[in-house]
Amino acid sequence: MIECSHVYKKYKNGTNALYDINVSVEQGEFIYIIGPTGSGKSTLIRLLDGEEIPTKGTVKVVGIDVGSLRASQIPIYRRNIGVVFQDYKLLPTKTVFENITYALEVIKMKKPQVRARAKEVMGVVGLSEKGNAFPHELSGGQQQRVAIARAIANRPKVLIADEPTGNLDPGKSDEIMDLLERINRKFGTTILMVTHDLTLVNKHRKRTVVLEHGHIVADLAEGGYVRHDQ
Amino acid sequence: MISRPIKEGFRGVGRHWGMTFSSAIAVTITLTIISIFLIFSWHLHTFTKSVEYAMKIAVLIDGSHESAAAENLIKSEIGKIEGVKSIEYSSKEDEFAYYLEQYSDQSIKDAMAPFGGDNPMRDAFYVEVEDGALIQNVASQLREINGVAEVDYGGQTTIDVVSAMETIRRFGAIFVAALSVLAIFLIQNTIKLTIGARQDEITIMRNVGATNGFIRAPFVFEGMIIGFLGSIIPIALTIYGYFTLFAHTQGVIFSSLFHLEQPIPFILYIAGILAVTGILVGFIGSWLSVTKYLRWKR
Repeated sequence: MIECSHVYKKYKNGTNALYDINVSVEQGEFIYIIGPTGSGKSTLIRLLDGEEIPTKGTVKVVGIDVGSLRASQIPIYRRNIGVVFQDYKLLPTKTVFENITYALEVIKMKKPQVRARAKEVMGVVGLSEKGNAFPHELSGGQQQRVAIARAIANRPKVLIADEPTGNLDPGKSDEIMDLLERINRKFGTTILMVTHDLTLVNKHRKRTVVLEHGHIVADLAEGGYVRHDQ
Repeated sequence: MISRPIKEGFRGVGRHWGMTFSSAIAVTITLTIISIFLIFSWHLHTFTKSVEYAMKIAVLIDGSHESAAAENLIKSEIGKIEGVKSIEYSSKEDEFAYYLEQYSDQSIKDAMAPFGGDNPMRDAFYVEVEDGALIQNVASQLREINGVAEVDYGGQTTIDVVSAMETIRRFGAIFVAALSVLAIFLIQNTIKLTIGARQDEITIMRNVGATNGFIRAPFVFEGMIIGFLGSIIPIALTIYGYFTLFAHTQGVIFSSLFHLEQPIPFILYIAGILAVTGILVGFIGSWLSVTKYLRWKR
């Protein structure tokens, strides 16, 4: 489902962000990418969603060589993946319902289907009652649920979550984790989650890839992480 | 799918009311000035044309060349001059009748009539030139013709007025063109600000898989709405102002040579031009802005 082979990334300003990254993620897997700030986590996500092109190596997602796509093909490719961000990235001027339908209108889904699907995913994330609320009227955890609902609305095969619990307290973080795990189980969505919340990683154990200074320093199938320099 | 960008465009206008207002004001000011210049320029154009049209050169024939043969010879000489459009013959009797007609008072006409027996007028040719600018040149060539006693046209002042108006008209056209470019830049800049303010929205659109065309459409439509909104006040001002001017002057300024166009349909054309210009300016400005913004984004 996700296939990185010998991926290097060097930015134009000379920063080396990633060195010889080799990761393979199977369909239906749930995997953490962890590492300190500046370890290359964000770069990896940018390579996966097509925002950046690898300097060397190939990044394949759902069988598509992401690095070789033309700029105009990127939007079409993105319809295969859902992305969730730390800061939710909801449209503040649109209601919860509109935020979700928006993502479906963008891919030109028919109107009745859009409404039905939006209601469905609002049910999945447990926000059926909040359709008419604006994002600022919701708590952080609820906003992240809306973002997740939006990300899974067009049934992507891969969900990329960039620090989805970064702005949330531990209780809310657990709820988001439960939701993501449920989506992973129920819909078979492959989930790649970037985080530096070690408590969470140790509590909800899954395959964990550890990045440091742009190198993969560990790929733990059984999950859980103890700092190796301690 | 056509209705979405339109709806979104209107929504954008509503939600970014401040931005919309400031750019619409920029368009309003520009279009108002353009409107004044359009009307001014058009009337200058028709005025110049009518002055030029009215400016015929009177060629008075010497008493010794009044025979039909001599006059025909003069006429053919005149016809050879380059720039001559038409030649019209007027006998001394016609001239006297025309002279008498200038008096509206019947008693004066009656008093003058007996002089017709000893007509002091001369046979004349009225020469029309193709272009007002040629008058001076043609007149000097007419003077050279044998048997021509006198050549008369509106005089140097008239020529000066025509050429001065021509100059003003030309500068007016350049000014209008420059203003339109300026308006496009203003809109482009404002839409750029609008886009800046909505950068998050565009990022999100890209993230959920919106194509560039899909992202562009509402912004471009918003630009067109702004352009149209900006044209409303100038159109209203133009219609009101022109009707008022027309009513005040009875459609005539200075002399019957300079008459104002009938308000209908003239003013409707001007209103149409303003609306189309506003929308076009909005379209070009926003298209340039969005395209520039989207071009290098992956």
